[in-house]
Amino acid sequence: MHCNYACGSREHEVSRRAFLQGSAAGAVSLMGFNQMVQADNTAQLASQQKHVVVFYLAGGVSQLETWDPKPGTDTGGPFAKIQTSAPGLEISELLPYTAQQMHNLSVVRSINHKEGDHAKGDYIMQTGWRQAPGFDYPYLGSSFAKHLLPADSPLPGYIHVGGGGSKAEAAFLGPKYAPLALSDGSSPRNLERPKEYTLEFDQKRHELRNRISQRFAAGRRQADTELYNQSFDQAVKLMGRKDIFDFSKMTDKELERYGKHDFGRHTLMALKLIEGGVPFVKVSHTNYDTHSENFNFHIEQLGEFDQPFAAFMADLADRSMLDNVLVIVMSEFGRTPRINQFVGRDHWGTAWSICMGGAGIKRGVAIGKTNENGTAVVDREVDGGHLFHTYYKAVGIDSSKNFYDNGRPVAKADPKTAAIDEILA
Amino acid sequence: MPAIRPAFVVCLLAITWLTTTVAVRPLVAQESLPEQIDRLIAAETADYDTIAAPLADDAEFLRRVYLDLTGIIPTIEQARTFLNDPAPDKRVKLIDQLIASPEFSRELARKLDVMLMLRRPNQHVPQTEWHTYLQQSTAANKPWNQLVAEVLSNDGTDPATRSAARFVLDRGGEVNEITRDIGRVFLGMNLECAQCHDHPQIDDYKQHHYYGIAAFFVRSSLFTEGGKGVLAENAVGEVKFESVFEIRDKTSTGPKTTFPRILEFTAIEEPKFDFGEEYARAPAKDVRPIPKYSRRQMLADAMLDPANKQFPRNIANRLWSLYFGRGLVHPLDLDHTENPPSHPALLDLLTENMVARNYDMRSLIRELVLTRTYQRSSLRTAAQQATEQPADETFAVSPLRGLSAEQLSWAVMQATGFADDYRANLGAKLTEESFYNSLVGVEQTFRNIFGEEPGKPAKGFEASIDQTLYLMNEPGFQGWTRGGKMTRTLTQMPADNPAAIAEELYLGILTRKPSEVEVQEVTEYLQDRTGEGRALALQELVWALLTSAEFRFIH
Repeated sequence: MHCNYACGSREHEVSRRAFLQGSAAGAVSLMGFNQMVQADNTAQLASQQKHVVVFYLAGGVSQLETWDPKPGTDTGGPFAKIQTSAPGLEISELLPYTAQQMHNLSVVRSINHKEGDHAKGDYIMQTGWRQAPGFDYPYLGSSFAKHLLPADSPLPGYIHVGGGGSKAEAAFLGPKYAPLALSDGSSPRNLERPKEYTLEFDQKRHELRNRISQRFAAGRRQADTELYNQSFDQAVKLMGRKDIFDFSKMTDKELERYGKHDFGRHTLMALKLIEGGVPFVKVSHTNYDTHSENFNFHIEQLGEFDQPFAAFMADLADRSMLDNVLVIVMSEFGRTPRINQFVGRDHWGTAWSICMGGAGIKRGVAIGKTNENGTAVVDREVDGGHLFHTYYKAVGIDSSKNFYDNGRPVAKADPKTAAIDEILA
Repeated sequence: MPAIRPAFVVCLLAITWLTTTVAVRPLVAQESLPEQIDRLIAAETADYDTIAAPLADDAEFLRRVYLDLTGIIPTIEQARTFLNDPAPDKRVKLIDQLIASPEFSRELARKLDVMLMLRRPNQHVPQTEWHTYLQQSTAANKPWNQLVAEVLSNDGTDPATRSAARFVLDRGGEVNEITRDIGRVFLGMNLECAQCHDHPQIDDYKQHHYYGIAAFFVRSSLFTEGGKGVLAENAVGEVKFESVFEIRDKTSTGPKTTFPRILEFTAIEEPKFDFGEEYARAPAKDVRPIPKYSRRQMLADAMLDPANKQFPRNIANRLWSLYFGRGLVHPLDLDHTENPPSHPALLDLLTENMVARNYDMRSLIRELVLTRTYQRSSLRTAAQQATEQPADETFAVSPLRGLSAEQLSWAVMQATGFADDYRANLGAKLTEESFYNSLVGVEQTFRNIFGEEPGKPAKGFEASIDQTLYLMNEPGFQGWTRGGKMTRTLTQMPADNPAAIAEELYLGILTRKPSEVEVQEVTEYLQDRTGEGRALALQELVWALLTSAEFRFIH
């Protein structure tokens, strides 16, 4: 039986025991309540901090109606391709706003992960690995949160806007890196002080709680008590930064540019969240599973996607944030070149595309090729492993290093693959 | 059906540790099991008597033993009764009283649930039915081997016993998921890496161990019958395995297979049937096949074979870990030669005892909590505090263990007096069951917020921000600190006697009397807070004690 083994085959010589010794707790923060609130009240988008934003077009967007159009062929469908702001790089006419941002984006047109099942394709694209029973890899939101969230940050590392999230996505990285889901675009729960307490009495009860806890910890084993007490410090700090979740301040002008619909607002939220210091944001947009009426659905869905996404890219450039923000537009798979009897396209993992830009990604290039009517990859075939090495490298992380799951080494990305160096700046 | 052959050791070198036990004879003929345990714990650490913390005082013992045995802290009255009892044998009496209580069965069932299901969500068997099954099992003091046999043999087709099938059905009937967890949960061996090759770091874990277990399930899969998921079994189907390393290095001699077997015990050969004669009920569309010979039905006997010492050893180690914070073999699912137990003779003794007691968990748990080791303080003496904290595996100091999600919910209900309010409401209808049912919703809320990640063994204490924000700000939680019997009682107590208020607070929430410093602290906290302000101040005190580290841990 062949399987996608979980145990990082080349790294087996690493001593398991050595990694079992690691201890969880760091230094205790003994800052007072006020200091904690104030210390983090200033926005802290440090110039070095990297961010990743994923636009997830759930259901499987068609590569032929987006990044790899084939007009005039038997599979091409009714839409033309258009010139973009990147000379020589053409995309579908369904993305006119995005076309004007392509000088800051690149496409990979040669993905073949061979998977036509939603859940399995999703797993490959969000973990970089084929699903294997009995072992769970972390989703990229959790992985990048783990790498990019500064140790002292009060913020969540991984926020998902416009969709749900499960603790399971963090796998062995632990609940700290699980997604915080803002499914309806509202703030996380329990960030407001209980209404019966003024700030003064809230502080008094916290100081009392802390004194009682410190008395208890004295003379006892403290790793876990510190972890527990620190979580209160962190929660207070996060409450002090709840401004990043205050989306009521979006101006009409902004909303006009991003579109006055859920996806527009969610995309603008993503911008505000990374500006606020959140390292990883995923924005989901649904309804791309177009087994029937593929073309009408793509007019509608991409019509909604195009303008906010382009506004987001333009704003990143205007704010000089592009070098620090990796942007990825992905799905679980693409759609069949063959147009079925319902004028639809079906599931297709064999020759399809994604778009990425920012951070360490070259601007305005296309990597890989499919054949004339898009039925096969003819140049630079890649799968989930190549993409993950590339993402890591684009934000300056060495993807050849391991994670450790309870001491056991786990490769960050499939060691049988490597980064797509041609797309890296 | 062929009988299982007497198992014998095939590969002595690799697995002597699986099959041999060191006979441990008490030094003194009358030495009780708790005394033997204490002696063997001390024997592994040179300066044990110097570094071992003193015995816990009555209050620390009381809180610990209530939470461990019944999953809830004592009421103020229960605490007062115990603390004021002058009887020298009151700890033994309390242990016996708690172990005989229905709360004990409930709490042991909760522990077994987490052990067996690792907080997996519902798939085919509702959790409530599974909990009921476990609770009835522990209430009847069903032996562990019998429980395991029921769980492993059940395919969910008999409505009367279907709840026991949650172990296999809510793993989707998936062979790899079931194989991995059988290794972990019943053998103490995480064979996951051996799915693809002999374990590269653990010489004892072989690929054929993994596939020996998988072979029991390889013919089984999920089947929908009468709208419900059940496990169906085919008469054919073999495991095939090949080391991915050997494939890579081109040294593989091709795929191998094995009959079902546990570790190095003899593979279970099976009867041959003529083609077309394999089924008692042949497969057809929408028909659940029934083979004449079921591999899956051979598993329980093979697992429970007296020669399989790994089975009692695993449960002995797991029961130990429930009350001492870590296994003698640790982690619990990495039992192998290179990761020996911290106290090998003790684990052998407990393993023997598990068998000698016919897998009676209740009686072994009683012995464990009777030990001095269990009853040590988590607080070291002043002199000891000047030296380094002893390593956890010495068991010289009682560990701090986070309350489970369930324990936390019931402890919060008890401490805020909400539990008392519910008891009063139930009036004459008050039983353990009616009380449990009236507050099980709160338990579920805490399970959602404080429960470990589904499918993963607990990794020790964790405190996430969403949990802490819940304790800090969630309106319902604040409501308990405001409106429960505890705060109401405190509000009605005379303001000029803050010492009495402090005692009520500390005894009700932390199960101990306050120190002078703490009485003083409460007194000062309440100064100048009159009228509405006083009620709020009392609420703040309740909240601060309830969310303190002292409350969050079993200590």
